[in-house]
Amino acid sequence: MNESNVYLQDLSRGIIKENPVFRLLLGMCPVLGVTAFLINGLGMGIAATAVLVASNVVISALKNFIPNQVRIPCFIVVIATFVTIIEMVLQAFQPVLYEALGVFVPLIVVNCVILGRAEAFASRKPLFRSLIDGIGVGIGFTLALGLLALVREVAGQGTIMGPDPDSAIHLFGAGFEPMGLFGQPAGAFIALGLLLGIVNVLFKRFKIQ
Amino acid sequence: MRDIFRLSLTLVVVAIISASLLTGVYSVTDPIIRERQEKDYFQALEEFFPAIDQFETREIEGDRFDLVYDQAGEKLGVMATVGTQGYDGKISYNLAVDYDGEIIGIRIISHSETPGIGDVITTDNFQEQFIGKGFDDPIRDGEDVDSISGATLSTGAMIDGIRRTITQIGEDILGRERKAFDPTEIVDGIYQGSVEGTHGPLTVEVEIADGIIKRVDVIEHNETEAYFVDAYPEIPEKIVEEQEVYVDTQTGGTLSAERIVAAVEKALEGGPVDKDDGGESNE
Repeated sequence: MNESNVYLQDLSRGIIKENPVFRLLLGMCPVLGVTAFLINGLGMGIAATAVLVASNVVISALKNFIPNQVRIPCFIVVIATFVTIIEMVLQAFQPVLYEALGVFVPLIVVNCVILGRAEAFASRKPLFRSLIDGIGVGIGFTLALGLLALVREVAGQGTIMGPDPDSAIHLFGAGFEPMGLFGQPAGAFIALGLLLGIVNVLFKRFKIQ
Repeated sequence: MRDIFRLSLTLVVVAIISASLLTGVYSVTDPIIRERQEKDYFQALEEFFPAIDQFETREIEGDRFDLVYDQAGEKLGVMATVGTQGYDGKISYNLAVDYDGEIIGIRIISHSETPGIGDVITTDNFQEQFIGKGFDDPIRDGEDVDSISGATLSTGAMIDGIRRTITQIGEDILGRERKAFDPTEIVDGIYQGSVEGTHGPLTVEVEIADGIIKRVDVIEHNETEAYFVDAYPEIPEKIVEEQEVYVDTQTGGTLSAERIVAAVEKALEGGPVDKDDGGESNE
């Protein structure tokens, strides 16, 4: 196996084979909580990706300095630091998104995708591979959130690019009555379940292991 | 022993680096956040009062009230920044009132009501019914404004909150007084009135004799008992003692107290009930 192949594998693993949402079912709180609108879902995905990449890099760089016994507290402090930075940056430059994501921004700290990658990958592998891994898993997480949010917004609101009325595109005529359930948390479970089923069928069909 | 020292040192170093990083980012973003919030705030004022030139802020019990002036120094009105308990957490909003005490507009700043249900409070459809209502209007569900079925708790909370805010603006800032009931001008007799309470109607009976409020009784209520005991019999006693309908309702059961006052007000607005008719209203 040559070198670029390793990096490519690191990148694609997080997107397809070990997609955090569809394959590992990790970090489900924000997945269910913020996916009522596509913009919110993608915003959450990007924010989590930024934290994931940054924490992966830092933890990989520090892995030789951090004693094994206190590695989890150290990882959490690193992750929490980046989350707080993201929170302040969002509040300053993306206030609308910050309001929409609400409590789920600080909750990125306890998103198990991030701690999971720190523990399983970044604390063992070289820096550059950890960076690629963070990007891959982040893309996989963002894509999954985007897909779920797209389904929920189209079904639950009849729009895409909402909730801001300036950017919202109404897909159906004025007579369309949206399925309000999909805008609710319960609808998130149902939509996620359906998507998981489809993904499993596809994986079986194309024999991806 | 040396191991513990090394572990603690690592944690301390990590924490110090983290704290200094956060301090740096905070000092950069904080002014931007503040400036943006100020700008948003002034924009909201401008939206309600296009002729705004300057404003003066007053704080009353943690709520912010801005008196708005135009270029000539004339008072244009007041914008309140207040919060009310909604169905699921606090709803904070701006309420703009012109100098005559009439509502110009409502702007929801933040809320956590159920998406697709309680968030109707942000729609024009719900908010428009308040425009033009004022200090002298009852602003009560089912009377001059309507809650929205399916979202009764969220919309009802907004109605109650707006009524309280406009009363406060009227009394504390615009210096208005509620229309007073003069017991000596009311025909002697028994009066009954009821308003919607927490879980059903609250009905009071008021007896006027020789131009004096003789007694106030709550004859029917469905309030939460724990709060209701703080309002009753304290509020009726106060009304009889002060011979005044609009007594101070700040008690452990403010909502129940307000409802008793409102029911007394309604009772005295209607005619006396005929006692021989089994206590039914003769409207």
